[in-house]
Amino acid sequence: MANPLSNAQLQILMVEDDVIDKELIEDELRRAEINFTARRVETRDDFLKELKNVSPDVILSDYSLPHFSGLEALQLVKERMPSTPFILVTGSLTEETAVECMKAGASDYVIKEHLVRLGSAVRGALERKIAMEEKEWAQAEFRKIAADLARSNQELERFAYVASHDLQEPLRMVSNFVQLLARRYQGRLDADADDFIRFVVDGVKRMKNLIDGLLEYSRAGREGEQLVPTDCGEALNQALENLRVTIQESNASITRDPLPTVLSESVQLTELFQNLIGNAMKFHNHQCPRVHIGVQCHGGEWIFSVRDNGIGIDPKYTERIFDVFQRLHSAHKYPGTGIGLAICKKIVQRHGGRIWVESQPGQGATFYFTIPLFEREPTWKKTS
Amino acid sequence: MEKNKLRMFNEGPVEILLVEDNPGDVRLTREIFKECNVPHVLHVVKDGEEAMAFLRQEGDYQDVKRPALILLDLNLPCKDGREVLAEIKKDGALQRIPIVVLTTSAAKEDIFQAYQLHANCYILKPVDLDQFQNVVQGLSEFWLRIVELPSRYE
Repeated sequence: MANPLSNAQLQILMVEDDVIDKELIEDELRRAEINFTARRVETRDDFLKELKNVSPDVILSDYSLPHFSGLEALQLVKERMPSTPFILVTGSLTEETAVECMKAGASDYVIKEHLVRLGSAVRGALERKIAMEEKEWAQAEFRKIAADLARSNQELERFAYVASHDLQEPLRMVSNFVQLLARRYQGRLDADADDFIRFVVDGVKRMKNLIDGLLEYSRAGREGEQLVPTDCGEALNQALENLRVTIQESNASITRDPLPTVLSESVQLTELFQNLIGNAMKFHNHQCPRVHIGVQCHGGEWIFSVRDNGIGIDPKYTERIFDVFQRLHSAHKYPGTGIGLAICKKIVQRHGGRIWVESQPGQGATFYFTIPLFEREPTWKKTS
Repeated sequence: MEKNKLRMFNEGPVEILLVEDNPGDVRLTREIFKECNVPHVLHVVKDGEEAMAFLRQEGDYQDVKRPALILLDLNLPCKDGREVLAEIKKDGALQRIPIVVLTTSAAKEDIFQAYQLHANCYILKPVDLDQFQNVVQGLSEFWLRIVELPSRYE
């Protein structure tokens, strides 16, 4: 963007009935080393004509003229080119009138007796204009980038969904026929053939899990339903109910704090708890898993925690585990596709929160996630 | 008495029409049906147009028997399964033939639409062979053994 303060010649429009005052003002501008050309008008018609033809960089206006007034000029400028600096340059101005002019949108005012302030007033007004334009430009750019990002995310999700859905078709064929082959010809070909078939069957199974995972991930955290006040305790109950068999089998003991109500979609909240608690029970060695679900209120948000006494995580991996398909262990030791935490992250982000883990190997792990406080609509909004 | 009643029935193998464009699925369904040991004849057509011609005994299909049961895929070339379903259920001569929708689409809209168009049941094709076998076995157990098909009384 060209900076009108640098060396470009400023187009100055003066609303002034006194030719001598015009000279004084120009002298002062020159003294302040402002490079400019100036035109003078004293009627409404001429003013409008100049606004239209020249579109000035700065307007310097007297307060009262025989056939026109500064406030009237200001109003015309605000309607037509609201960002153009408008400075009142006048013989006398009461404080009330000054306040009135500033409220109406004047950039500044200079008393003719203190004309020495004119240079800095012009510079200041232009600087503010440029800052405002830059801010607006940055905001527009930001909005554009945000919209681009949202669109590209949506496309990506759609792609993941379609790809995983369409990939299932050929996979189903491979899977079914190799199983049919295995069933009908197992032991009737040689040992190698049986091995090969087993590898194919195994590969197909893993591929199916990955595709299912991708499909699940592309569906998770979608902005389908509106977020509504949701009891976290209820969502947790549902998650524990879904995990009942695992809890019994692993002999886990699960404790909890009383949980708040937040703005959420209960299905997603349940999935979040279920994945985190499921992991807490899965990644442990021999002792009985203990899991505690806690919450505290801090800095305008709820910080939920899911703490376990499992195998823990090396701090150098604590970022990576939230990425899709990231696994730290062989599927043989701890089965899974590496999709659970990625889904958790997506769900938490949809709720405007953050998720992270604190852990040391062998010392358990605590997963944290935040959800903004749910505030009821202030009562004054309804009454006023 | 019982004997007389029995004689009124069509006791031959059950005629099934499979509407399916994927040769792999056709073969698979054939193989699994074979393993189910229920006397049946499986006819196959590859798209909606052929399905309607078969059912209305037109063109190449003038000599075929009307099937007792239809297995219908939803995603077909040209006239797709949804249109076939709607057309059959609107046709007085065909609407009583039970239709089993057999598809890979788990989309809620597809399921709702199929039942709204009076599909008799909606089944997802499983990826796993054992599950597929369970499905076909369940199908033949229910539709070919338990259910009284209208075709037996025609």
